[in-house]
Amino acid sequence: MEQYVAKSPSSESSKMSSDPAAPDLQPRSALTPDDRKELLKQLYLARYFDVRLIKEKKRGRLRGTLYSSHNQEAIIVGSLFGLKGTDWISPIHRDMPAFFMKDMRAGWRNPDRIGMSVQEVCAQVWGKATSPGRARDNWSHIGSRAKRIICSTSMLAGTIPAAAGVVYADRLDGGDAVCLTFNGEGSTAQGVFHEAVNFAAVRKLPVVTIIENNQWAYGTPVRDSLPEGLESFAGRAAGYGIPGYIADGQDVLDVYDKVMTAVNRARSGEGSSIVECISFRAYGHGDHDDDRAARYRREFYGDRWEEVIAEERERDPIAVMKRHLVGLGEMTAEEAKLMPAEGKSAMEVNDLDFPEDVVKYLNEGVEFAVASPPPPAEEGSMWVFKEGGR
Amino acid sequence: MSAAPAPLVDGAKKNYLLALREAIFEEMESNPNMLCLGEDIGILGGAFGVTDGLQLRYGRDRVIDMPISEAAIVGVGCGMALNGKTVMAEMQFIDFISCGFDQIVNMTATFHYRTAGDVNINMVIRGPAGGYGGGALYHSQMNEAWFCHSPGLKVVCPSTPKDAKGLMKSALRDGNPVIFYEIKELYRRRDLEEFVPEGEDALIPLGKARIAREGESITIVTYGQNVHHCLEAAKKLDAEGFSAEVIDLRSLVPLDEETILESLKKTSRLLVVNEAPMTCGFAGEVLARMSQNAFELLDAPPARITRMDTPVPWVKPLELHVLPSVDDILQAALRICRY
Repeated sequence: MEQYVAKSPSSESSKMSSDPAAPDLQPRSALTPDDRKELLKQLYLARYFDVRLIKEKKRGRLRGTLYSSHNQEAIIVGSLFGLKGTDWISPIHRDMPAFFMKDMRAGWRNPDRIGMSVQEVCAQVWGKATSPGRARDNWSHIGSRAKRIICSTSMLAGTIPAAAGVVYADRLDGGDAVCLTFNGEGSTAQGVFHEAVNFAAVRKLPVVTIIENNQWAYGTPVRDSLPEGLESFAGRAAGYGIPGYIADGQDVLDVYDKVMTAVNRARSGEGSSIVECISFRAYGHGDHDDDRAARYRREFYGDRWEEVIAEERERDPIAVMKRHLVGLGEMTAEEAKLMPAEGKSAMEVNDLDFPEDVVKYLNEGVEFAVASPPPPAEEGSMWVFKEGGR
Repeated sequence: MSAAPAPLVDGAKKNYLLALREAIFEEMESNPNMLCLGEDIGILGGAFGVTDGLQLRYGRDRVIDMPISEAAIVGVGCGMALNGKTVMAEMQFIDFISCGFDQIVNMTATFHYRTAGDVNINMVIRGPAGGYGGGALYHSQMNEAWFCHSPGLKVVCPSTPKDAKGLMKSALRDGNPVIFYEIKELYRRRDLEEFVPEGEDALIPLGKARIAREGESITIVTYGQNVHHCLEAAKKLDAEGFSAEVIDLRSLVPLDEETILESLKKTSRLLVVNEAPMTCGFAGEVLARMSQNAFELLDAPPARITRMDTPVPWVKPLELHVLPSVDDILQAALRICRY
């Protein structure tokens, strides 16, 4: 049986992106050295958050399922980096860091930024009353109108209609918000994916549909969810008459480039787009699935297993970004060897592999969560209905 | 091209459909934050004409002809509502609501709960419902039980023009998602036409039942189209020497148990009627609650008359065979009265 593995794209593989011969049209060309430094820092932060949760979970301190974002951090960081605070997002289960990384450019600890604080997000993960959703639904199912984050459900692709509605309302009110929706490649098979992407296309709504193609929809490989003859999930965009961009999901600069191309287009009134970010899933679907995933993935890749693992480690988003910085002369080869978190599993790294301020920042979140009380039991039956009218 | 809108308030008697239309026009007029979405609601004015002239008056941005996708109608409406809008979402037939089911019960119904009160969805999902008209399997359903069983949704079903208007206006101001069952067989019934109040005077609160007819011998609890069947049966009961009190629930969620209990104190006998199938239907819910809360008031075993546990078939003899008839109601009431 032939085994399908989507090839790792280079940035040249993008379709309908800016002309490479005119680099000044590429959003990434406007990034400064400081921006790139910040992007690397944010990649470390997203990785550290995930690693920390994996360890806390293994110690039995967390309830529920952890859907690791390990190896997919470039999608989260690169997608969010260029957004305005007033833009909306709808992250899904594997995008947990997105909740506190939204509008992070306004300052990690800036209380006025339009995103959740790391304290709030940790409180949610720990199931505490200080979570934005008071820990009523689990993990990534939090949202806030003020923070402009749509609270998702477990029904994948199910927030794309709401994303279209949110920006429709915003536009009527004179706003210029764009909404980024995050989706796995598996959810593109859902009817609601089509129904919502179609509506957003018809009405030229500023919705950017990001497809995180990590090669696996739980236990189903891309081979079994992408029709032969369609090279990419982004290729579905043609059917809606909208652009479909493909980004290297391991390369934060390429993700930034493609997402911002789509965002700029959306904001200027030209309508929606699909951006497929091609990536790898480092672990199981959720941590309950890690052991089986190690087996089924190995069986699936067969003789290619060692090669796949080596490629995944080589193409760790932190490693890719470090190579960019060295290539640009913004980091020496010696500096790139410091804080070697890249290419390692969660259990292979420790705090010393990460920047100090990243560890400190996350500790503030964890300490807040641990010290927070759980919600009182009687809240379980509250807020079924709003009282007192609209 | 849509016809020019009929005068909104002309003081004439209104049928059920025009009363609904007037409610939507009035709310659109007084609430600039309100949007309407649905299939064919704009240019056509809705399959039945409930939104006739609405787009002409309020424009394409506020009255949105949607692609054929109930999931998008509900889900997009949910997104608009979460961003501060009041939303009227039309299901062309309430049967089609199943295509938007996940967006209703998982996304919309739970938003307030999931966000610990941060977000509330002020949205009415309305559509023509009910049998007795030859609509066959997919244009005759009463599927209210699905939504009564989904926490976070209110469920409403008026049986008169006044109630249709008053409940629609209240639903559009309720702050919660409301599934609104319009009985299409009542839309244009001449004998129900009545004077319908205007503006704030028209409001009828959700969760308050209406005593459609006073009586002493038996309490018949029902809603929607069956209200009229029960009233007819009640007339026939009179001839048998029993006077029936007919309670029109109007709202299923929230349920006005108080009005039923008060009636049972007087009659001590209970019959519940609905045209949805029996198993896990709303009639069963009323029976269960009254068995639990009013057992000592009852002098006879309570009963329910419902559709058989079948789909609604097409041709008339088949359809009438499975749906509750006036005679079914009469016979059941007599059994209870004579117990």
